[in-house]
Amino acid sequence: MDTDRMIGDEVARRVLTAALSHGGDLAEIYVEDRCTTNLSLEDSKVEEAVRGTDRGAGVRVFYGSLSTYAHTDDLSGRSLQAVARNAALAAQGANRVQVLDFSRAQSGLEFPIEKPFEAMEAQEKSQLLRDLDQEARRFDPRVVQVQARYSEDRRRIRIWNSEGRHAEDERNLIQLSVIAMAQEGDLVQRGVGMIGGQLGLELLDRVDPLAEAREAAASAVKMLDARPAPAGEMPVVMNNGWGGVLFHEACGHALEADFINQGVSVFTGRVGEQVASPLITLVDDATLPERRGSYRFDDDGTPSQHTLLIENGVLREYMWDMAQARRANRHPTGNGRRQSFRYLPMPRMTNTFIKAGESDPEDIVRSVQRGLYVKMLGGGQADTARGDFVFSVSEGYLIEDGRLTAPIRGASLIGNGPEVLKEIEMVGHDLELDKGLGQCSKGQQVPVSVGQPTLLIPRITVGGTSEIP
Amino acid sequence: MEYLRLVEELAERASGGDGEAEVIIMHSRTTMVRVNAGEVLEMSAADSKGVGVRAIKGGRMGYAYTSDFEPPTLDLTLSSAAALADSSDPDEFRALPGMERDLVENQDLEVFDPELSERSPEDKVAFILAAERAALDHDPRVVATSYCSYHDHTTRMFLANSHGFAGSHESTGVVAYLRAVARDDSGQAAGLGLGCSIFYRDLEAELVGCEAAGKAVQLLGGRPVKTQRAPVIMDPFAGVEFLSFVANALTAESIQRGRSFLMGKLGEKIASARVNLVDDGRLVRGFGSAPFDGEGVPTARTSLVAGGALEQLLYDTYTARRDGTASTGNAQRSSYRGLPYPAPTNLYLLPSSRRVDELISSVDTGLYVTSTMNTGGINPVNGDYSVGASGLWVEKGEFVGPVTGVTVAGNMLEMLHNVADVADDLRFIPISDSIGAPTMLVQGMTIGGT
Repeated sequence: MDTDRMIGDEVARRVLTAALSHGGDLAEIYVEDRCTTNLSLEDSKVEEAVRGTDRGAGVRVFYGSLSTYAHTDDLSGRSLQAVARNAALAAQGANRVQVLDFSRAQSGLEFPIEKPFEAMEAQEKSQLLRDLDQEARRFDPRVVQVQARYSEDRRRIRIWNSEGRHAEDERNLIQLSVIAMAQEGDLVQRGVGMIGGQLGLELLDRVDPLAEAREAAASAVKMLDARPAPAGEMPVVMNNGWGGVLFHEACGHALEADFINQGVSVFTGRVGEQVASPLITLVDDATLPERRGSYRFDDDGTPSQHTLLIENGVLREYMWDMAQARRANRHPTGNGRRQSFRYLPMPRMTNTFIKAGESDPEDIVRSVQRGLYVKMLGGGQADTARGDFVFSVSEGYLIEDGRLTAPIRGASLIGNGPEVLKEIEMVGHDLELDKGLGQCSKGQQVPVSVGQPTLLIPRITVGGTSEIP
Repeated sequence: MEYLRLVEELAERASGGDGEAEVIIMHSRTTMVRVNAGEVLEMSAADSKGVGVRAIKGGRMGYAYTSDFEPPTLDLTLSSAAALADSSDPDEFRALPGMERDLVENQDLEVFDPELSERSPEDKVAFILAAERAALDHDPRVVATSYCSYHDHTTRMFLANSHGFAGSHESTGVVAYLRAVARDDSGQAAGLGLGCSIFYRDLEAELVGCEAAGKAVQLLGGRPVKTQRAPVIMDPFAGVEFLSFVANALTAESIQRGRSFLMGKLGEKIASARVNLVDDGRLVRGFGSAPFDGEGVPTARTSLVAGGALEQLLYDTYTARRDGTASTGNAQRSSYRGLPYPAPTNLYLLPSSRRVDELISSVDTGLYVTSTMNTGGINPVNGDYSVGASGLWVEKGEFVGPVTGVTVAGNMLEMLHNVADVADDLRFIPISDSIGAPTMLVQGMTIGGT
């Protein structure tokens, strides 16, 4: 829809002036225009087809350690003035700052869209979901249920602040996912296939979506033959890609500056120390093309960057947003993100991954006498500040004498993220990022990517079912 | 234009003559204040309004929404809803409610506080600071608070459909809560205090603060007990947490989708004779009360479980048509951005006339639970239930010491059958849905400790 009904410099100046009328150190206005479409299929029927536009603005005023925020989805001048007055209410001081002249920030990053979402009718997108459903069911008669989902999300943002910052960004996300359920007797197993990223409909030309349906079905069917997982301490090889979610949850969050400033993170005050195996280099990088966590400017208007968090095992930097950086007198790293104009930004990961090492992935598996190979992680929980985690393994195999053997089910990995980072013994040369469906929840939902090469964790507790084979 | 007229006009246009359409406008104002250690950390105020259009034609449904009320955008939203309906698959049960039932008018549900809009931000800051102060002053061992915050909302909803329904409804709500942290030589413990009301003047800051402090202090020195089977007494907080999973299993959608441990149990005994569950959309001063639901169906008082027998499910129009029955008026809308879905209005376990201390003194050995934490141990399909818990140990009907770091586990169906008693202290804890429970005694639970 027409986005030139978003506001411009003049309105922004008036709003910021009103927001600072009771004092305050800095005022900011964040304007967003977003258009999303979601189609979902279950029972072989496209049941939900929803499209929406969300347009609104939020005004934030910093005053010492306090920040006040007000937002509205009405962009009329009258409404924005009311929002500015609301945001100004808590600041009551002699401190008077002027709104400086705006200068539009430039970014060298391009995230081009070759084929915009409008290039395909909703009916064709629905047909794609029906095709995925048929392809998964055709793969094996034991596939009894398929859920497929298509979503597109175009988000345009503009930010101005009283220090003269003016930044604009556009983010386009596409996602296609298939979940297949296979059943034999009472046993039901799930398999997942997905593609997505920061790009347009060209994604569907580049990779074959039907292959994802077959992949989901194959994985669900394969797990029907799985044996109950063994329990106890053992070596675990985690394959490349999605396994990075474990480190995202169990290490990444503890490197976010709000946990650091509150002093509750295991990494507080440890910059310069060896916190991980020398084989580990952990990066957060919002500048990568086509990745879900990428942008030109974060939601504070700070340019995105490549941040070395841990370098050869040594802690180098945390992830900062503007508010936490102001509090600690540091520079923001472009990690300020918000779910929408209805929320205040907070420090968040973007695309976070462990860099490639030197080992051959096959050698890593060969080095294990008896252990577990994790191909796909399911759901999990982690204490974000301390890093204790429990993750379920949705697709895993036994390693016996250096070879993958039987598929196993019901396994979970239990441990502590920072401890695991210290113990990693081999890092593969096969770095891969996830296939484009990462969504991180920390009170607010934001799109992310995770990634890693194949890794060897020499010892970790595997929680199996009670029936030990 | 006046919003009720606008939704009527849009519904008429969106139906396109041969289809059905429903249009909702929701307008809400919310404020939030978060404080810590006597200082304001964060304040926010929000004004949100938008319009959502549901179009159904030949059993195909599409939904579109916008927050922009300019005529060209509204036109585009109407045509989007129609185009999305064309792209979905037909389902014979997909339809809007007809006009077979009349609204009960002029019943004052007492869900709107006209004074709330007159309260200044300063009043709200002072209120939540007083709650924190009360917690810190309650006992010298209370050293800090966290999540100390005040929230209120004023919501107006306008709904119309192409069958001629048009109605509006307004409500308010005020919630304050905080977690008190207590510390002594034995370590640290936390407790939650909560206050909620439709009316600002009914909320008492001291009660919220003292509740949190009292709970935190009584858990100091808590330890796990030995793993054992024993009765569990759930206070209203723990009971509401349990009932929220039961409520989810009672929605027709969960059952039709095969995601409920109550599948196939309609008409059967699913609980002890002490269990009477009611959903009442007309409860006076209820957080979930309204004259009509998110599809315009009149709300009602529905007996779900009576004397332990499962009598009725929570239905919206679609799930009711699928089961060949009538909607119970349980279609909920959380915002203009989404489709209606079946969920509780005000769902509660009927209390008895027994006092809580009588109930506790009837227990020989067991755990009185004041706080539970969902650690992912709930399986809605087979009913397995396991949560982290803390509370007080009971011996010979008396509290003998605090317990922390244990799990309480059972199967929800067995737990319902094992409800041996309920007390008279019904309390609603409207954290997500408006759900209420009195203190209840559940026999034969597994307490996981050392």
